Amino acid sequence: MTDKSATTTPTVSSGIKRGRLNLLFLAIAVLGYIVFTIYVSHSNLHIQSLVLVAAVFGILAISLDMAVGMLGLYSLGQGGFFAIGAYLTTILNARYGWNIFALLPLTIIASGLIGAAVGAASLRVSGLYFAITTFIFTLVLTVVATNMQQITGGLQGMLGPAFPRLPSSFSWVGTPVVWCVLGVLFLCMALVWNIRRSPFYPVLLSIRDAEPYAEAAGVPVSTIKVAFFGLSAAMAGVAGWLFSFLGVVSPGEFDWAVSLNVLVMVLIGGVNTTLGPVIGAVFVSMFPNLVNINPWLQEILYGALSILAVTMMPGGAVGAVRKVLQRMSAGGDNHDEDVLAEAEKAAEETVEAASSIPDHAGEGHEIVVECKGIGFGYGVGPKVLHNIDLAVRRGDIHGLIGPNGSGKSTLANVISGRLSPHEGQVLVKGQQVAGLAPISRARLGFRRTFQAAQLVHELSVAENTMVGLYDHVPNIELRSPLWPLLPSARRDGRKMQRDARDALSLVGAAHWGGRSVGDVPHGIEQLTQLASVCVAGPDIIVLDEPATGLSAKEVHHLAEILASLKQRGVTMIIIEHQTRFLFPLCDRVTVLNAGEVILTGSADEVRADPIVRQVYLGE
Amino acid sequence: MQFILSGIAIGSIYGLIAMALAITFYVTRTINFAQGQLMMVTVMLTAMLSAAGTPVWLAMIIGLVSSCILGVLSYLIAIRPILQVNRFSFGWLVSTLGFAVILENGAALIWGPTSRSFPQMLISYRVPIGNAVLNGQQVLAIVVAIVLTIAFEVVRRRTFFGKLGMATAVDPDMAEAIGANTTVVAIVAFIVSALFAGIAGLLVGPTTFANPYLGSTFGTFGFIAMMIGGGTEKPVAAMFGGLILGVCAEGANALINSQASDWFPFLVLVIILIISPRGLFSSSSPLMRLRRPPAAKA
Repeated sequence: MTDKSATTTPTVSSGIKRGRLNLLFLAIAVLGYIVFTIYVSHSNLHIQSLVLVAAVFGILAISLDMAVGMLGLYSLGQGGFFAIGAYLTTILNARYGWNIFALLPLTIIASGLIGAAVGAASLRVSGLYFAITTFIFTLVLTVVATNMQQITGGLQGMLGPAFPRLPSSFSWVGTPVVWCVLGVLFLCMALVWNIRRSPFYPVLLSIRDAEPYAEAAGVPVSTIKVAFFGLSAAMAGVAGWLFSFLGVVSPGEFDWAVSLNVLVMVLIGGVNTTLGPVIGAVFVSMFPNLVNINPWLQEILYGALSILAVTMMPGGAVGAVRKVLQRMSAGGDNHDEDVLAEAEKAAEETVEAASSIPDHAGEGHEIVVECKGIGFGYGVGPKVLHNIDLAVRRGDIHGLIGPNGSGKSTLANVISGRLSPHEGQVLVKGQQVAGLAPISRARLGFRRTFQAAQLVHELSVAENTMVGLYDHVPNIELRSPLWPLLPSARRDGRKMQRDARDALSLVGAAHWGGRSVGDVPHGIEQLTQLASVCVAGPDIIVLDEPATGLSAKEVHHLAEILASLKQRGVTMIIIEHQTRFLFPLCDRVTVLNAGEVILTGSADEVRADPIVRQVYLGE
Repeated sequence: MQFILSGIAIGSIYGLIAMALAITFYVTRTINFAQGQLMMVTVMLTAMLSAAGTPVWLAMIIGLVSSCILGVLSYLIAIRPILQVNRFSFGWLVSTLGFAVILENGAALIWGPTSRSFPQMLISYRVPIGNAVLNGQQVLAIVVAIVLTIAFEVVRRRTFFGKLGMATAVDPDMAEAIGANTTVVAIVAFIVSALFAGIAGLLVGPTTFANPYLGSTFGTFGFIAMMIGGGTEKPVAAMFGGLILGVCAEGANALINSQASDWFPFLVLVIILIISPRGLFSSSSPLMRLRRPPAAKA
């Protein structure tokens, strides 16, 4: 991501050159990894056990980083899923003689399903409570493993199964378990590497940082959260499967301290990076051998180091290295001053026609959004909306105005599905959608923007725009683990990038595409939001105060964009305070006051109405 | 009868630790995983000083003061730097645990990993209640828990400082904007919480003796008690959680078998969290939903 954001207009040839260079680096890295594996598989037991334990924890740390880094779910249940994998393998192998390779898919499925179940149960509560519930899950599992002595061997635990030996003619391969463990670690790294290079990654981050935005784009947020957490649990289960070959499986190996240690690994190495968790795992698991002092002193040192790591380096080791590299490549030149000047230039840019956005012009003039008798109130407080009736015709721009607190945004949230009305109906294209999730509306070609832009700050403007395409590309989530390897996926990826670029040039923000949203001015954030809505080619858009915080030039630019969207037959409901911007655009205007509709009419009728002048224009 | 009373006695100890966890959580939205270790430090210091000939009351005061100092240090070192960067960061999960690791292993390094004797205090007195018998220390634990809980709630609701704490709990930025020094509020919360943990340690010391690993056991049970009760919303609920946990554990030992207290409380915890994810006495609990919603506060 950093390499993309560094240059605003890369020439084609340098892009290809860079691609080749990256491929070369990748090949060297893979080759190095294979050489390392060969070396370890032929070295002595001491080195082998060090590397293998580090590798197993590396897998565990990657699995945790999938939940923490990509979805923001601070799971302390990773030790639990790890235990499930290890115990399942050991018990079924020792007591029932099951083949260990047959146990691998079983382990994956079992820990994945339990993970999804725990995820589904814990997602009722968010943030900190998620950490606490998963923490308790681990706590309970350890207690079960300790107390069910007949099955688990109690505190002493059980000796794990032996990894099968190869026939003597294959002795040149070295120790097979080394190949197995390091192979799995490689696959896990490849999996997250691929996901980070697929369009699913912006979708995941939008769920993490801007859930309403993802929802409005038609992303089934909770399903993805539960399934992805299940995947992370399955990976932890695989780590447990591997761990059982390394020695004794006992409750002490999986207690809550282990779950926290895995989090230490992720935080020390670098959250949401491919290499970070592995680096952290190597450091933490080899730490006792590195210092080799009195065990109590060593623990004290470890505690101090983990405090220092989280307080001093919030980005972890990888984050710190990146920062240094960035500083070196940037050479101190600061482009902050240019940014505002550029934003002004963007506002002057003419609105281009983009080919990929569908045209809905000439599709009739029937009612497409209708509210009938909407009533709504927050909690036990007074009602905010009373018996609202609203009808919007296809191809119209419908303005929604009213003083602060009159219920405009609440109505927008009811129409777009973030809130479900206590009474009344919402019809989109004749379908009753009140009480249904926002996804149901996204499928009907309905999109919305937010008053305060909800975007992923660490991703680029173009990547944020691509989130809007989520439901236009089939099976993004299923293909993401192999994304860069699938020709069809690469094709779709290129198309998505093209569409995002078109949408950005439609709103006049084309050359901002590579910048990360955290670095762009407010006006561009608003345009990005608009682009991510337009990119899906919706025919109905709800805009919640799109002109808030824009400069006069930018407002003018926005009006041009909206006018051109109207020409394409897009129906719009616009909530706005700036009547000077709004009235010239609108076909109809509805005025709300204290949760009731005062008047619906043309802009001129509204302007002339005495009651409106009194409650809203203050005359 | 016996198990209910002794359950309430040990439950008051769990409840005090749970309240200690809940008080700091209330103000900073973090869980101090070193809470159990703060209790352990009080116990160890008191044991060491009284064995060296210091009067017991002085040893106890020194023990409490040192746990308060360590409590404040845990805030300044392990929590504040992280919250300053990002108020919603979860780095404290790691750093408070790191602090706990340092305390526990530091104690083991200084005093050795074995148990030491602790002043006997009131343990030899016998107090018959109905057909059950409690020792003086157990009665003291119940009385102290009741007094501290009531005192805490009165301070929280009735004094200006308590209200400041509530304001900081709801929205630290807003509290700061109206002129509250949230750092001072947090430091006081950590002192109070370390006091609660230390007192719990003094109450339980004569039964458990002094051991560097005392902290993790009681820390875990305190945490469970807090979650059962819903102490993350109201510190007082943590005390009720402790009492429930104590009675459950003693009851399981008396009625199922002598090992049952190892797992039965966890079963209770899981059931409660399935019914009400934020604890029994939280606002989202079905138990609370039975009550009519209070009239809207202006």
